[in-house]
Amino acid sequence: MGKVKIKRKSTLIDMTAMSDVTVLLLTFFMLTSTFLQKEPVIVNTPSSVSEIKVPDTNLVTVLVSPKGQVFLSLAGDRDSTYSSEKMRAELLKTVVAEYNKLHKSNPVKFTNAQVNTFSKINSFGYPMSRLSEFLNQPQVKQDELIDPAKNPNAGIPISINLDLDHPNEFQIWMKALYSLDNENLSAAIKDGSGIAVKADKDTPYEVVQVVMDNLQTMKMNKFSLMTALKSEGE
Amino acid sequence: MAQIEQSSGGKGKKSRQKKMTIHVDFTPMVDMNMLLITFFMLCTTMIKSQTLQISLPSNEKVDKTEQNKVKQSEAITIILDSERHADVKDELTGKMLKGQVKKNLVYYYEGQPNIVDENKDGLIDANNMNETEFLPNSGGVPQGIREIIHDRNKQVIEKINVLKEQWRDKKLSDEEYQKRAKEIRNDSTLTRPIVIIKATPNASYENLIGALDEMQINSISRYQIDRMNATDSALMMDIKAKNLRK
Repeated sequence: MGKVKIKRKSTLIDMTAMSDVTVLLLTFFMLTSTFLQKEPVIVNTPSSVSEIKVPDTNLVTVLVSPKGQVFLSLAGDRDSTYSSEKMRAELLKTVVAEYNKLHKSNPVKFTNAQVNTFSKINSFGYPMSRLSEFLNQPQVKQDELIDPAKNPNAGIPISINLDLDHPNEFQIWMKALYSLDNENLSAAIKDGSGIAVKADKDTPYEVVQVVMDNLQTMKMNKFSLMTALKSEGE
Repeated sequence: MAQIEQSSGGKGKKSRQKKMTIHVDFTPMVDMNMLLITFFMLCTTMIKSQTLQISLPSNEKVDKTEQNKVKQSEAITIILDSERHADVKDELTGKMLKGQVKKNLVYYYEGQPNIVDENKDGLIDANNMNETEFLPNSGGVPQGIREIIHDRNKQVIEKINVLKEQWRDKKLSDEEYQKRAKEIRNDSTLTRPIVIIKATPNASYENLIGALDEMQINSISRYQIDRMNATDSALMMDIKAKNLRK
């Protein structure tokens, strides 16, 4: 009997095509998606039929936690002179000046390093009197401190206040945001597209109302509410 | 990683030049790409939020004489409320549901509230407040609160629908459509309702957005968010009491 020769086959698979596909997918994801922003509380926004998209630039987001803590985030202009980081540093300086005018007995002060740390934080909200202490902490500790589930004192202090001569801290922040040296942001705040209120769909109305009342007192009557797109047929 | 294969040249010929094929192994490249894709899929989002623009009235005191009173026949008041869970556990997930919204409620009344109680039985005689719900269209027909608002704003909606049809057939440009639609919405010769939205402190934010959404769906040009007053609360308590007795 003749021996049957088993032909040896190469197991090499040509991966070129596969590589092409993955590179295409990668490019797609890189171009279409935006990075998730770190936020102190995760909120589930309600859906609406409105089709106006949230602007990427010149936007102040007021994040309201279900318990009523308020956090702000600021997106600067596309122009690098008004980038988010520079705007945040400038914002802190403006707020400090305003705060110290009202609290002459116990003024707050920040070092350049602290201002620099602040400008890197995307979503901020901490009482002014303890902000300095907060900025000295390492990042992990900061995330813990700003999380309302772990620290009930997180968030910008807010209350119903109609007296603008003695504004609450939220009003100081909002006023400073409006007076920042960025005309595009001021214009956006004025026409209502620059302020977006973001709250969870289960949040009681009284909690949202406090924020809306404060904005109304600040004469920022126009603003937008952040919603998710309603699916077809609803 | 890469290898060069020599193909044995033609058998008979004695050509010095040998054909070279170069194989590059792309497996590590694919591995790396897959890792990157996973990273992008987990750390980024494709969903972009929408916004709903609202403008509240200015807070400044308005002279009583300058205040324009809403015509009774045009007014419709919507009151939002939410029922929330007490201390119960979700049977499926075992999570505590305390404070979560169980049901969104909508009440409405047309014109003036009616709180007369002549026979003194503690119930309002002719409560003109009704209970309804947020419901999606069923077969293109509006339902729930949408039906009520839709009926009140019929003239405007009909005109806008005609306009929309033209816009779909590309007879109108986007800008023209927006402009004409705005004119119709603000046309004072048509009967248009004024909607007053009120919410109890307990009402969910979702409910408020739902109500504002209905305004947009039904092309209501005149609506406002107002505060609850004692009359509204009385009407609501009455409805709840009557529901319990049923």
